[in-house]
Amino acid sequence: MKTIEKAKLDSLFAQLAQNYSLLVPVDYNGLTQFAPYSQVQEGVSQLYLDGNVTVSPKTAYLPQSEAMYKFRAQGKKLAIEEMAGLDKQQVLFGVRHCDTKAIQCLDKVFLDEKFEDPQYKNKREQNIVFSLACNNPKATCFCESMGLDRAHAEASVADVQVYDFGDSFGFEAISDKGKACLDKLTGLGETASKLPDQKPQTLKFDVAGLPEKLKDMFEDPIWDEYSFKCLNCGTCSYICPTCHCFDINNKIRGEVGVKLRTWDSCMFNEYTLMAGGHQPRAGKKERVRNRFLHKLQYFNEKHDMSLCVGCGRCVAKCPVNVDITKFIRQVIG
Amino acid sequence: MSDIQSEMRATAKQLLESGEATVVIGWEKGTMPYNSTPVMIRSAADVDKLIWDEYCQQNLSTYLIDFIYTEDKVAIFAKGCDTRAYNRLIQDKRISADKCIVIGVPCSGMKSAKAAAKLPEGAEVPMSKACKECRYPNPVVFDRKIGQDVTPWCTEKDFSDVEAIEAMDQDAKAAFWKEQYTKCIRCYACRNICPACNCTNCIFDQSASGWQSKDINASENQFYGVTRAFHVAGRCIECGQCEMVCPSDVPIMLMNKKFIKDIDTLFGAYEAGLETEGPVPLSHYEVSDPEEFM
Repeated sequence: MKTIEKAKLDSLFAQLAQNYSLLVPVDYNGLTQFAPYSQVQEGVSQLYLDGNVTVSPKTAYLPQSEAMYKFRAQGKKLAIEEMAGLDKQQVLFGVRHCDTKAIQCLDKVFLDEKFEDPQYKNKREQNIVFSLACNNPKATCFCESMGLDRAHAEASVADVQVYDFGDSFGFEAISDKGKACLDKLTGLGETASKLPDQKPQTLKFDVAGLPEKLKDMFEDPIWDEYSFKCLNCGTCSYICPTCHCFDINNKIRGEVGVKLRTWDSCMFNEYTLMAGGHQPRAGKKERVRNRFLHKLQYFNEKHDMSLCVGCGRCVAKCPVNVDITKFIRQVIG
Repeated sequence: MSDIQSEMRATAKQLLESGEATVVIGWEKGTMPYNSTPVMIRSAADVDKLIWDEYCQQNLSTYLIDFIYTEDKVAIFAKGCDTRAYNRLIQDKRISADKCIVIGVPCSGMKSAKAAAKLPEGAEVPMSKACKECRYPNPVVFDRKIGQDVTPWCTEKDFSDVEAIEAMDQDAKAAFWKEQYTKCIRCYACRNICPACNCTNCIFDQSASGWQSKDINASENQFYGVTRAFHVAGRCIECGQCEMVCPSDVPIMLMNKKFIKDIDTLFGAYEAGLETEGPVPLSHYEVSDPEEFM
């Protein structure tokens, strides 16, 4: 395994930044997220490796706001300008296993066998993921319960596996892309040390049979209990690494316009609002039920995997503590 | 605190058993030690879920809006700020007092759950900023009251943070707010938890109107923040919930407090939510009002 001392991390980043666009986890005025390494160099943000970031790295695949194409009215004709994709490979350093798994979930949606989303595909091809194994899970983390491997990142997404050895980081190439990237780096040490110890997760529960159980629970009173306190804000959906619903809208100024894809949330009123004014998911109950069932039942039925990866962000950040883990435990009984 | 908790449970039990209330809204313990979260109790058998501790921050008054079209008679536990929020909702004609039973609970200030989440277990957790600045810890309106009134620890409005921003030059101010609103992810948690944000149809839920683009950038986000601040001006009861729930740590109360300061200066000292009658600074008109700009 290749290694680098943490004290020399800057030189590693400098090398990566030379060959690639480089995104690292940062703390920007209290908000943790992935951002260009240049923000760290300029002192705008601080490198943040103490835990997972609040806004997940899905932003590097499905930005919160993304231009799909531009258009311009020319008399009675319309000129379309396609958007250029990423022309340069982009390294994401320190993506946690849960977020790597989440990208696999997004693959099911955006790289569907019938339709491949070109903008997503471009980023998927150009991104090189350095996935960092967590030694110190937070009290809200429950990825193990959702079936994740804490020692090995999702191999279809991660390109380089990173381990934290305290004073140094260890790197193991997973994909060809990852190997090519590691091969370009100089000044790395070599070690055969065993994998670092990982503290056990405290939030643990059984999820066996969950999708099947939920199938018969559409009208269960449990939804009243869990939805009562929900504010119908979009915090959970926006910080969730697997929530991927978007809206498409126009931004038009005079004769030019941009077709925008922006995140949307099933908690919002406009999400299901019909053109005629009908609202099929009128209230909190219908919306909370939809979100939980999408995560824990519908996605399983369609893709044979859960749409919850156990990152714990919603548990930590929900303003009113609507806790999906409590819900799962109550359903499983 | 435990005396108040047992009194809460006893009160809830009595209200539900007697049929005076069909629903009691209080707090229950959440996932982490620093999570106390709203709970709706419909059966006297469940009253033991109710708790009272130093994290019962969440304002419960806003939940009364959810029951305006039901047959329920709803009892809520209400701290000083919750009762000011209740008055606001009454004044905005969003709820009707005869459907509600307000059980006042004097409050000694709540701890910051956000701070607690970042501190090691067992560390001393500071009081929430809004609570530190609270001047009305005792319920200002109630049908019943539990516990003894406390002595307010703060008697004057503290505008030192607002003054620090006012002292900046224009460019620095613009840079400061741009930086803050670059972080906003427009989840609308601040709006949805706010007792003053109680419109049936919010401007930000009408994207086809074109008033606010769904594009996310510092400019659009600032438009959101400023519009909301203008709309709650004169009605903000300083519970600070907006800032507490913000996942991006935007200092939302700074702007709300700037409006409060300006209202005090321009219209005379005013405290939102203390009364349900009488003139409100920004929605009251008199023929004798100065119209210098006309």
